[in-house]
Amino acid sequence: MLAKLNRRNFLEVLGQATAAGGLIVLLGPRATQATTTPEDEAYDWEEHSYVYLIDISKCIGCGSCVRGCKAENDVPDGFYRTWVERYAIAGLEEVRIDSPQGGLNGFQPDPTAPASTKSFFVPKLCNHCSNTPCVQVCPVGASYQTKDGLVLVDKDHCVGCGYCVQACPYGSRFLDPETHTAEKCTWCYHRISKGELPACVASCPTGTRRFGDLKREGDEVVAIIRSQNVGVLAKELLTKPRCYYLHLDGEVR
Amino acid sequence: MSDAPERHSKHLYRAVIVIVGGLIAIFSSRLLLMPKSFGEHGWYRFDNVAEQMAKPVKHGGNASCKSCHGEQSEQHDGAGHATVPCESCHAPLATHVKEKKKSADMKVERTYKLCARCHQKLEARPKDFPQVVLKEHLEDQGETLEGDVCLNCHQPHAPLEDL
Ligand code: SF4
Ligand code: SF4
Repeated sequence: MLAKLNRRNFLEVLGQATAAGGLIVLLGPRATQATTTPEDEAYDWEEHSYVYLIDISKCIGCGSCVRGCKAENDVPDGFYRTWVERYAIAGLEEVRIDSPQGGLNGFQPDPTAPASTKSFFVPKLCNHCSNTPCVQVCPVGASYQTKDGLVLVDKDHCVGCGYCVQACPYGSRFLDPETHTAEKCTWCYHRISKGELPACVASCPTGTRRFGDLKREGDEVVAIIRSQNVGVLAKELLTKPRCYYLHLDGEVR
Repeated sequence: MSDAPERHSKHLYRAVIVIVGGLIAIFSSRLLLMPKSFGEHGWYRFDNVAEQMAKPVKHGGNASCKSCHGEQSEQHDGAGHATVPCESCHAPLATHVKEKKKSADMKVERTYKLCARCHQKLEARPKDFPQVVLKEHLEDQGETLEGDVCLNCHQPHAPLEDL
């Protein structure tokens, strides 16, 4: 009889204890009010909200941006944090897309291409989505969003499960072949937090790639985004990208 | 019935042990497994933000080149390649300068391939961008497509001057 009573009590108690424990786990890390990042008191991430602008009509497909990114961030061979695609649309139906080595060494004339009605280059990179699927699926909290609007990966905490690589609808992520952790564009956080431009923007000779800050007064890039016909990639996915494209063709995906 | 209170207190006693034990297990595993600074601003390790910021900057920008190569910078800034960053054709500053001293020679690609990346005629390039069909252009000049042939006529810092 004691055993029967006890088991019932025990289960109830256990249930309560687990609930209480769970609550503590959830409430445990209390958000502090500090606004500056720990080591660099000069940079306040609440004073910035970055956006990126790509003017497709200006891109010459030289690949300087891809090389700049590679050199700045030691991106492993065969992988790209940013890349350039060439679109060739013939008869408004046949869409050909190529990106040899991500456009690293530029592009060659394509003698097999049909007489195309239109052709253009589309630089791509992580969109730093505001409503991001990649962070949502991370089971350990290694992918996260910063207060200034970036999506970053903590490679010391990443377990390399690859869920985020699958979740990103833009193909912006890959697993580093050496560390086996998730890698992607950081908008050169080490540069922008020091007031520099991302390496791809700094490398672009044509002004195709530009970087803006929603919280900076009189920001030219923000003015363009607010006043001109810009689009984002795969808008229907509701990921709310922070990369805006000027002169975006409807065929670009 | 007289010993009921005693039996109930026994139940309570065990329940308390289970709860306390559970809490100790939860907190100690949290302490052990959760990285320092995790959760300070959200479901991630906050220290990583500073770690990302601390990475060294490799491209120094044109101004950093100018401080040693004033003459070349001036020529470059006043001519057709003014918007082409120095480090795009040369290499990032970090491969050439360490602690404000020259640490190694700059690597420069000198072959026609460097020029072709921007100026080989491609359907996809903006129509108003200066491009040539390399082979035809060189044939017109009585040259062949090889090595640093472009440099025979063009000075990359001021590509259309002195022609
Ligand atoms: S582009 Fe992909 S990796 Fe970048 S934030 Fe969006 S979902 Fe994440
Ligand atoms: S550097 Fe600029 S022009 Fe060249 S491929 Fe990249 S975005 Fe296009």
